[in-house]
Amino acid sequence: MGRKRIWLRRALISLCLLLAGCVVLFFALPKLLIAPANVAKSDVILHSSISTQSTADEYVVDLYRQGVARKIVCVSSQISWELYPGDYAREHLISLGVPAEDVLSLRLPVAPCDAVNLPTVAEFVKAHGWRSALLITHPEDSRYAARVARRFFEREGVSTAVSYAPEDREELTRNWWRTHWKTQRMVAEAMSITLDLFYAECR
Amino acid sequence: MVRDGAEERENRKMWERKIGITPGMSSFIFLSHIFLFAVWQLSLMNGAIQVLSRFLRSKRARVLLMVSACLLTGYFLTPVLLNEVGEGLIREDKLVKADVIVALGGDHRCNREKRAAELYHQGWANNVVVSGLQYAWGFHTGEAARAYVMNLGVPEEKISIIRETLNTRAEAKILEQLMRERGWRSAIIVTSAFHSRRATYTVEKAARDRTFHSSPVPAGSPEWAPDRWWSRRGDVYLTVRELVSWANTLVNGWQ
Repeated sequence: MGRKRIWLRRALISLCLLLAGCVVLFFALPKLLIAPANVAKSDVILHSSISTQSTADEYVVDLYRQGVARKIVCVSSQISWELYPGDYAREHLISLGVPAEDVLSLRLPVAPCDAVNLPTVAEFVKAHGWRSALLITHPEDSRYAARVARRFFEREGVSTAVSYAPEDREELTRNWWRTHWKTQRMVAEAMSITLDLFYAECR
Repeated sequence: MVRDGAEERENRKMWERKIGITPGMSSFIFLSHIFLFAVWQLSLMNGAIQVLSRFLRSKRARVLLMVSACLLTGYFLTPVLLNEVGEGLIREDKLVKADVIVALGGDHRCNREKRAAELYHQGWANNVVVSGLQYAWGFHTGEAARAYVMNLGVPEEKISIIRETLNTRAEAKILEQLMRERGWRSAIIVTSAFHSRRATYTVEKAARDRTFHSSPVPAGSPEWAPDRWWSRRGDVYLTVRELVSWANTLVNGWQ
């Protein structure tokens, strides 16, 4: 009886520790996922921070005006019937004053993970003769994007840096655990990173 | 051959004479060696059996056996259970005529809208509802979905749009309002297979006085499929996300 109680106590303590670990991990997600923004002078800006909650367009235009890069490529996959948000982001950037010839839209197929489409993007960059690229991503994707992009782009001889709009970061991390879309994005990113470790096509 | 046998016998006799034993003795020595070897082996085996039976009577052995049995059972049962988890996410009801077909939003490939148009043409309902989100650049995914459904032959006046639907529960609330406004009593819910059970549960909870039937997009590549879902990266993501969403829905968590 005494031994059973000891085992029960051990099991309960393990469960509590596991739960505490999960809680700590959950609240540490912003620290784990968001890397410091790294703006480096590049040949092209790859703008993929295109979503309903993002305000990265203005940030991208600022970078363009500061001369960080001379070309911008809006990268997106289909989100509805023949609807690529990158096309609209391009129009928006033009309306904000970027010359039309300096903004392109790159359409990608719907893919289960970033690693599937990144070789296409890297080839696109290389084909245009660009040797360096600045990736503008969603803040929660920054650390992982930096790692994955470096692997695919360096293979093509293209150096990369990753950044995001400071306003996006501020908005995302403000009370994020109390808002559905913010929590959803954080957890989805954590899930994606974990899953990518187990599947060859995404590693 | 006969000559070979005689030669062999002659050689053996010569060898017996050489080492000084009576002819035929070598066979006896050989047989006795075999006998002794057999006795030695049997005693070893007996000892091993005794050690094993003593070990099997110990508590440690029972625990080891039980753990091995559990691991073996787990190895063979896990795929079956995981398949069951996948199947459990799907709800497919018998089709009956309804007032409206609702294609829920969130499908980048527009398979839900395609399925809704098919059901419309088969005459299961006279109205179609599509759903979507407003993006900052002035486009609405619901408008694109409507254009697609129109392209598939559904008249414009028969299509309605649910706007600002960030998640299934928000979508269900707006759908309930729309059905109340239009006087629709029943709906066929069209969504992806993995989402069908939760989606139907959510809309049923939001509009208890109305009837809903689930008719999901058929499961299969490149869409999610329940069979061996854990072997495909995209399907694992969708399944795990769906399970997390189920937990969130059941505890009435984030909205």
